[in-house]
Amino acid sequence: MTIFKTFLKVLNKCKAPILLYTVILIFFTSFNMKTNENTMSFSPSKPKIIIVNKDEFVGVTKDLITYLSTHCEVVEIENIEEKRNDALFYRSVNFIVEIPQNFHKDLLSKKNPTISIKSLHDYASSLVNRMLERYLNIANSYLNLELTEEELIGKINETLTTEVKVEIKSELDTESLNKMALYFNFTNYCILAGTIYVLCLILSSFKNKSIQKRTIISSIPYKKYNRILLFSNSLFAFLFWLFYILLSLVLIGKNMFTMHGLFYILNSFVFTFCALTLSFLLGNIVTNKNALNGIINVIALGSSFLCGTFVPMEWLPNSVLFIAHVLPSYYFIKTNEILKTLEVFDFESLKPIFLNMGVLLLFALGFVIGTNILSKKKQKLA
Amino acid sequence: MKNCIEVKNLVKEYKNVRAVDDLTFEVHEGEILGLLGPNGSGKTTTINCILSLLKFSKGKIKIFGKNMEPNAYDIKKDIGVVFQEVAVFEELNVYDNIDYFCGLYIKDKTKRKVYIKEAINLVGLENYQKFLPKQLSGGLLRRLNIACGIAHKPKLIFLDEPTVAVDPQSRNNILDGIKKLKEDGATIVYTTHYMEEVEILCDRIIILDKGRVLASGTTDELKKLANIEEKVTIEGVEISSTILEEIKQFKNVDEILYKDNILFITYKKGKNNLSELMDFLKTKKVVYNKIFSERPTLNDVFLELTGKELRD
Repeated sequence: MTIFKTFLKVLNKCKAPILLYTVILIFFTSFNMKTNENTMSFSPSKPKIIIVNKDEFVGVTKDLITYLSTHCEVVEIENIEEKRNDALFYRSVNFIVEIPQNFHKDLLSKKNPTISIKSLHDYASSLVNRMLERYLNIANSYLNLELTEEELIGKINETLTTEVKVEIKSELDTESLNKMALYFNFTNYCILAGTIYVLCLILSSFKNKSIQKRTIISSIPYKKYNRILLFSNSLFAFLFWLFYILLSLVLIGKNMFTMHGLFYILNSFVFTFCALTLSFLLGNIVTNKNALNGIINVIALGSSFLCGTFVPMEWLPNSVLFIAHVLPSYYFIKTNEILKTLEVFDFESLKPIFLNMGVLLLFALGFVIGTNILSKKKQKLA
Repeated sequence: MKNCIEVKNLVKEYKNVRAVDDLTFEVHEGEILGLLGPNGSGKTTTINCILSLLKFSKGKIKIFGKNMEPNAYDIKKDIGVVFQEVAVFEELNVYDNIDYFCGLYIKDKTKRKVYIKEAINLVGLENYQKFLPKQLSGGLLRRLNIACGIAHKPKLIFLDEPTVAVDPQSRNNILDGIKKLKEDGATIVYTTHYMEEVEILCDRIIILDKGRVLASGTTDELKKLANIEEKVTIEGVEISSTILEEIKQFKNVDEILYKDNILFITYKKGKNNLSELMDFLKTKKVVYNKIFSERPTLNDVFLELTGKELRD
């Protein structure tokens, strides 16, 4: 009890950094949740086009122009080629359609008239291209039926207005999943930095050579002393994790009580365990309390930047992500990202998640082995 | 007299160095044993071996009549150690630090409270109980270090240079505390480089060098071992080299040193050395301010036995 009580007293001195990491987490998560709200809503936009009609405004030509005008925003501009080219160059329009003279007559007489186009080759211009192709393909396919121009226009419009109903079956609440992923990606930094800082600080006190000597010669068995210390540290890591889970309930709400929420919690638990073992290893290496801040910056901040805590993983270059594979944070964040888009919770879908958690546990095992080797080496040196 | 510690043929070897070389000695119950020796003589290694902090190569160590081993917790409960380096938690205040180390031995809260109070009183830290170690002066920190080592009322206490770098006031306080511990029945093993402390405190002294016992006994017994009988000092004297040469030829004179108008003369033996010298100076009409004679100190014995060359 004496050791545990002292552990709590030393822990009490670490209130400030714990509070600091929590404030950072709340601030960044809230800030990101706000800025990411816009990315979740869509507004329709029409490509901007210029139509240069050298034909008469009758029949199929008139119908084609009407069709394009309905689906695109037609920009009126002086009928000078240079002006049109400027508009395209300065991106005021995406596409220029030039309907040649006698277009409707040539089409009806199956002469296969050519419509000239100029485009920015962007996504919007590809849409116009597709509209144009669609219209001409439909018109060509009805030409063989020996229809009058009016009948042909009727058939084209009939086909064009045929709508295919597409129903998106996904029931994912993408907004809240994004929030969850954001929150838990940020916990990577807070859990890693918080656990390492606090535990290393406590361990550096308890593992101080002189204090350790005094403990070894005391009447308390050293193995028991180490067990109590291990339990106290694990309890702290667990409570620290629990605190962030409760905070997630406050910030994210009832969505945490879903399968997604459950897996986010499980993933963060495995990661906290890994961070705990890493803290033990570092606690055995680092004896200088002043060096702690530097170590936290290198490990917590470094792996947060490399693995996609602050910058989304999809924006990071492959070379960075390749290096990130050697860090536990990579597997934690990767799982968060997979969970964000996970539709079905079957074995096949969960396989990569369990695989990542397995890698985290392997990291933890490595850290435990490292700590043991180091402790034995230290004992031998004594 | 019952032995509290028995060390027999203790050998501790590092790779190429024999730090403790076939060491045999006993510490009697209720005594203060001074362990003296120059740096690297094996004092701390010996203590670490006795406390099972170090594995030793050969030999036997018994404490309270039982073999000392790393898991001999029934022996360890009656041992207190005050290391040379201050071993306290920076994050805990004075009271909590003593409480922690006392708590490693004493589970009973009420009993512990009484013990902590007694330890605080013994080292005179009553007014600093809520202070953090970083708020304490060097002397107070040393006193806290002692309190942490003795709060559980051990029967056997190891004090490894507890007065290093403290002012005379704090040193006196610490020495008074150690005397009090002895009066309460504790056996103490005391290591230091301050000879006057050993003369004041210790019942017996062991002088170690190169891991071996050079000499042991009481202060008086050790002084007899020295090859010096008397030291005469003449202050404020102007003396010619011819007279100095004549003094050198005196029957019992071992060594003379003349520096800054002070003349030091050491005699190997003999009785009326001072009066003979004074008569000689009178005949030579040598004027001086002050003349006095001293018996050899423990420091002289120590230097005589361990040599005057510098150590690491």
